[in-house]
Amino acid sequence: MSKDKEILDSIADKEYEHGFVTDVEQEFIPKGLNEDIIRLISAKKDEPEWMLEFRLEAFRRWQKMPMPKWAHLDIPEIDFQDIIYYAAPKKDEDRPKEIDPELEKTFDKLGIPLHERAALAGVAVDAVFDSVSVKTTFRAALEEKGIIFCAFSEAVREHPDLVRRYLASVVPVGDNFYSALNSAVFSDGSFVYIPKGVRCPMELSSYFRINAAGTGQFERTLIVADEGSYVSYMEGCTAPMRDENQLHAAVVEIIVEKDAEVKYSTVQNWYPGDAQGKGGIFNFVTKRGICKGAGSHLSWTQVETGSAITWKYPSTILKGDNSSSEFYSVAVTNNFQQADTGTKMIHIGRNTRSRIISKGISAGRSQNSYRGLVKMLPGADNARNYSQCDSLLIGDKCGAHTFPYIENANKTAVVEHEATTSKISEDQLFYCNQRGIGPEEAVGLIVNGYAREVLSKLPMEFAVEAQKLLQVSLEGSVG
Amino acid sequence: MTEVMIVQDGQLLRSIDVQAGKRTDMVLLVMPGVSCDIKLDVRLVGEGAEANVYGAYVCGGDEKVKIAVDMYHDVPHCNSRQLFKGIAGGVSKVDFYGKIIVAQDAQRTEAYQENHNILLTDGAKVDTKPQLEIYADDVKCSHGATIGRLNEEEQFYMRSRGISLEDAKVLQMISFIAPVLENIEDHDERETIAADFENAIRNIVKQL
Repeated sequence: MSKDKEILDSIADKEYEHGFVTDVEQEFIPKGLNEDIIRLISAKKDEPEWMLEFRLEAFRRWQKMPMPKWAHLDIPEIDFQDIIYYAAPKKDEDRPKEIDPELEKTFDKLGIPLHERAALAGVAVDAVFDSVSVKTTFRAALEEKGIIFCAFSEAVREHPDLVRRYLASVVPVGDNFYSALNSAVFSDGSFVYIPKGVRCPMELSSYFRINAAGTGQFERTLIVADEGSYVSYMEGCTAPMRDENQLHAAVVEIIVEKDAEVKYSTVQNWYPGDAQGKGGIFNFVTKRGICKGAGSHLSWTQVETGSAITWKYPSTILKGDNSSSEFYSVAVTNNFQQADTGTKMIHIGRNTRSRIISKGISAGRSQNSYRGLVKMLPGADNARNYSQCDSLLIGDKCGAHTFPYIENANKTAVVEHEATTSKISEDQLFYCNQRGIGPEEAVGLIVNGYAREVLSKLPMEFAVEAQKLLQVSLEGSVG
Repeated sequence: MTEVMIVQDGQLLRSIDVQAGKRTDMVLLVMPGVSCDIKLDVRLVGEGAEANVYGAYVCGGDEKVKIAVDMYHDVPHCNSRQLFKGIAGGVSKVDFYGKIIVAQDAQRTEAYQENHNILLTDGAKVDTKPQLEIYADDVKCSHGATIGRLNEEEQFYMRSRGISLEDAKVLQMISFIAPVLENIEDHDERETIAADFENAIRNIVKQL
C-alpha cells in the first residue's frame, strides 16, 4: 500500500517539454482594454471598417456581461486590464517576406516544420505565434483545388464576403462572456473554405504558440465546408512555463453544408502549471459547429492534457435532416489542474444522430468534470443520441464529476446516457506487475487502453503524439 | 421495512440521515393527476450504512413532476442505489435531478443511480440531470439515464399473438415500472398499488 502511495505521489511530478521561451524581438501594444486598444489592434491588422465596428460592438456588449460562475471550477479573479492584447514578433524591415530564423527554430523544436519540403507529408500548417500567423504552408497547392486556407486576418482582407457571411453565425457575439471578449480583441487563427464537392487532399492544421509574457491569446477560427466537401482539421498548442496565469480565449466556428463532412481534432497541451498549482494557461474556449445541410457530418475529437483551467464545450447544432455528429474526448488532469469540459448536441432536424464518448482521468489534486447537454427539440423526429462518460481516478485527493443535462420534447426521439466512475482496478495492475511490467508502465498501459476508443479517432499524425502525451501527463503519479 | 409514499400534490421535503450499519428503503409513487415538487436529501453518516430509493411516476395530463435527490456519501463503506422510472404523456412536464456526492474520505463506496423515462406524446417533455460528484478514488459509481419511446417491435410481437395494441401498450408500461413496484414489501399493498397503476395507465392509453 505504501508503495502504491509513493507511485501515486510520483505521478504528480511530470515534465512539460514545451516550456521554453523564444528570444525574439516583439512589439507589444500597451496593457489594458478599452475602445482605443481595440482600434489599435484593428489598425495593426489593416482591417476594414466593418471589422472594427464588429469588434467595438462586441466590446460594448462584453462590458455589460458578468463572468460565468456555473462551472465546477475555482477561477481566481482575472484582471482584464492587466493583459496585453496584442503581441507580435517584429519583422525585419529589409526582408519583410522572410520568417525570423528564431521562429523557424521554435516551430521546428515543437515538431512543426515551416518548410514545405521538410513538413510532415500531407499536412498543411498555419502557425500562429502570439497574436499573428507566421506562416501558412502548402497554400499554393491547396489553391489549385479552390481551397482557401489562410490566416484569419488575411481572410478578412482578401475574402471579406465569405468572412462576413459566416462570421458569428454559429457563435453570436453575445453568446457568452468569453466569446464576446474574443469578438472584441481576437488576434489570429485560421480561415478554411472548402468549395463544393472538393475533398481536401491533405490534413489542415493550426498550431498556436503563446510566447510573450503578460499577454493573452485570442484565437479565432472559421471553417466552412460547402456542399459535399470533406476536410480534416487538427489543432495543437503549447506555451512557455511561467508563474503567471495567461489567458487563452478562443472562438471556433464550423459550418457544414449539405452532405459535407468535417473532422476537427485538438490536442491541447498548454502549460498546465507546476506541481504546486502555480502558473499555467486559463483555457476558456467556445467551439461550435452547425450541421446546416441535410446529411452533413461533424466530428469532434479532443485530447486535453494541458492548461491550469479548462472551460470548453465543443458543440454541434444538428439542423439539417439526417445530419450526424460525434464527440470523442479524453481529458487528463494532474496536480492542481481543473477541467470542466464536455459537449452540447442540439437536435433540430429529423433523423439526426449524435454520439458522445468522454473519458476523464484525474490524478494528483485535480478536479475533472464532464458537463454536457443533449437537447431534442420538438421537430427532431426519430433523433437518436448515445452518451458514455467514464471517469478514472488515480489517487485519493482528486475529484471526478459528471454533469449531464438531457432534455427531450419529442416522443420519437431516444436519448441514452451512462456514466461510471472508478479507479484503476487492482486486478489489472496485479496482472501487469506479475508479468514484469512496472506499476508506472502498467498504469500507462491501462490508461491508454481506457482512452483507446477516443485516440483511435485521431488522425495518425496526432495519435502518436497524443499517446505519448498521456504517458507523460501521468508520469510520476501512479501507484 | 420499506417506506412506501404515495406522493400528493404540492411540495415534499424529506431529509434522512442513515446511521452506521443501518439501512433505509423508500418507494416514492406519483400517480397521474399529481403535480409535485419532491426534494429528498439522504445522508449516509455512519460506516456500513445503506440507502435504497425507488420511484415511479406516471403522468397523462398537464402534471408537473419535479424530483430532486441528493445522495451524500460522507463516510467509507456505504452503499446506495436509486431507481426512478416514469412515463410522461399529455402535456406533462417531468424534471428529474439526482446527484451522488462522495466525500474525499468515503472510500469503498458503491453508489448507483438510474433514471428511465418514456415519452408518450409530443406535448410532454422530460428533462433529466443525473450527476456524479466524486472526491474519493476507491469507489464504484455509475448513473444511467434514458428518455425513449415504447418499443414497436415488442408491440408487433404481442399484436401478432392476438393482443390488441391498447393492451400491448398497457403491458409494456406496467412492466416498465414493475422493477420499482417490486420493492414494496407488503404483498397486499403491492397488489393494490399495482392495480391502481394499471387502471391509471389504461386510462392514459385510451387517450393516446
